[in-house]
Amino acid sequence: MVCLPMANPYLVVEHLTKVYERGQVLALRDLSFTVDKGEFLVVIGLSGSGKSTLLRCINRLIEPTKGKIWLDGGEVTRLSQARMRRVRRKIGMIFQQFNLVDRSTAIANVLTGRLGYLPGWRALLGWFPEEDREKALASLERVGLRDKAYVRVDQLSGGQRQRVGIARALMQEPELLLADEPVSALDPATSHSIMQYLEQMNKEDGVTVIASLHFLSLARRYGTRIIALKDGQLVFDGSPQAIDNVKFKEIYGEDAEEVEVR
Amino acid sequence: MGYPEGYLSERPPWTTLAGIRNALGRRAHAAGRYFAVFLLDAGGLGILWILVSYAYAWYVLHATAYMLVPWWLFAVGVVEGAALWGSFGLSLGQRLLGRELGPAEGREASARVRVRYFLLWHAFVLPGIGFLFDPPLHERLSGLRLRPRRIEGTAPAPWYRTSSGLFVAALLVVTCAAAVGVTISWPALARLFRQAGETADFWRALVSPDTSILLDAGRDMIVTIFMAVLATLFAVVVAVPLSFLAARNLMTGPVGRPVYTILRGAMSIIRSIEPIIWAIIFLVWVTALRSAFAGVLALWVHSIADLVKLYAERLEAIDQGPIEAITATGAGRLSVLRYAIIPQIVNPYISFTLYRWDINIRMATVVGLVGGGGIGQRLINYIWGVQYRQAGTVMILIVILVWAIDYLSARLREKFA
Repeated sequence: MVCLPMANPYLVVEHLTKVYERGQVLALRDLSFTVDKGEFLVVIGLSGSGKSTLLRCINRLIEPTKGKIWLDGGEVTRLSQARMRRVRRKIGMIFQQFNLVDRSTAIANVLTGRLGYLPGWRALLGWFPEEDREKALASLERVGLRDKAYVRVDQLSGGQRQRVGIARALMQEPELLLADEPVSALDPATSHSIMQYLEQMNKEDGVTVIASLHFLSLARRYGTRIIALKDGQLVFDGSPQAIDNVKFKEIYGEDAEEVEVR
Repeated sequence: MGYPEGYLSERPPWTTLAGIRNALGRRAHAAGRYFAVFLLDAGGLGILWILVSYAYAWYVLHATAYMLVPWWLFAVGVVEGAALWGSFGLSLGQRLLGRELGPAEGREASARVRVRYFLLWHAFVLPGIGFLFDPPLHERLSGLRLRPRRIEGTAPAPWYRTSSGLFVAALLVVTCAAAVGVTISWPALARLFRQAGETADFWRALVSPDTSILLDAGRDMIVTIFMAVLATLFAVVVAVPLSFLAARNLMTGPVGRPVYTILRGAMSIIRSIEPIIWAIIFLVWVTALRSAFAGVLALWVHSIADLVKLYAERLEAIDQGPIEAITATGAGRLSVLRYAIIPQIVNPYISFTLYRWDINIRMATVVGLVGGGGIGQRLINYIWGVQYRQAGTVMILIVILVWAIDYLSARLREKFA
């Protein structure tokens, strides 16, 4: 049962289960799926359907209760904390609430993306190598925020802050990017700009992206594949075109109407 | 909620370590919930009864009495009162903890079901054996649950029509009655107005300061400021590391939680002993030869306890987002501390420290009154020596000092808000 498929997919999730609150709440129920290298996988589902928990189980910000996850042929669910940190360096993550340190400047936030590569004592002294600083400026340049490098991030707009978050992820030179509802706190126009940065990372740098999204229109536009969660269970796994009205009602409930984000 | 077939574990949950931990955790949680509600209800009723007894005895019997009944009758009354309140109404404890007693399904429990619950409460909650089961045995047998309060379509009753509202009102009235009865007597009140003239010398001395002592007093004032600065600085050095061990959100797990509990407990005990008492302790300890040293030690100990509490509460309120994000980059625990936590707390910590320094300036004068050195010691010496003019001078100086420091600290703290 636990043999790797022939094609060696990049990420394998098997029987993943997460139970909260002393066994009372089931966040994820027996999820199994695979992701190939270079895919742009979109996870959809209602709030509370387990999207965030799933993404956090992959880099083990949350410990799964049961089940296994392989990344690039290695089983991440078996790694010690120290080895897990080395794996996390290659997994970028961006968040719905951006999760930046508000009191710090944009470049200080971006530099933290290098912490996994820095010896502990240098990290504590804040002694980043010169090439990291140059790289940080280049990352900010890439997301169009070079001129905001020395501005405190609480002075920036929502879209700008999420771009700082992307620049921080870029610093990790990630192979995998986890995006937890990256545009839910943003307006539609800004949403597209953020999604285009993710698309660019996916297409040009070959980063595998797993993003959870609220809007099906965004999922259809950017995803190469969609999986849908409902009450922690996998209810859909297929191409964006395969979600028709019937499937939509199944995922979001009978009362749901599809809303477009243009 | 049940588990889907065979999906969590092939084995029954109680044969796995996690399963046993979960099962015990759920039982302890349920017991704790009931205990907290009971403690609030019984405690509230007990305090109310003691105050009523005291006020009644004072005004009617002209005597001092706390219970008016034998202690065992008091105990039974309080327990039964709490049981009745919790079984038939929305008790104070239930209200404060956001819970109510109701059927698992449906809206209101009938009187018969509540009577049954009341009896089951005595059999299973009071001895605690009901909590060996999950859900607790009395909940299973009565069909009622102590569940989170449901606010539904109907408007909640105004406070004066709820039992908790009436309870609080009664408590306030009785407290005022008892307090007035105890602290104010007519003869003392009459003296307050009639004998004001006897203090005229004192007031006259206050407005005719003796400028010849200004230099000496100024020197003592500098000692007082030094005492406050030293005590605050040394307290920061100790309190900053301790605050991390006293923050609930950082101290989890089987080692962390006991450390947190013990540390916070010790700090609140130290804090509850006033600096003036600490000064007396240290005066005895280090002898009176260097009295300012004793004062500094007193302020230091109290400041540590106070700052640890203020710091730790700020730590508990930090945004978890950056911690998550920095952990996700592959950073180690110390890096997370350095880059996700410390940037969030530096300014609040500085602000709290300034605030405590401001308090320490005032406390340093008070500590001086018992011989802890500085300007306070000079003041008390003048008062004992009936040198009211000199005492008045010192008091004016203290007012100026405290006002100036107050202003300075407020302006500085604005910068670090």
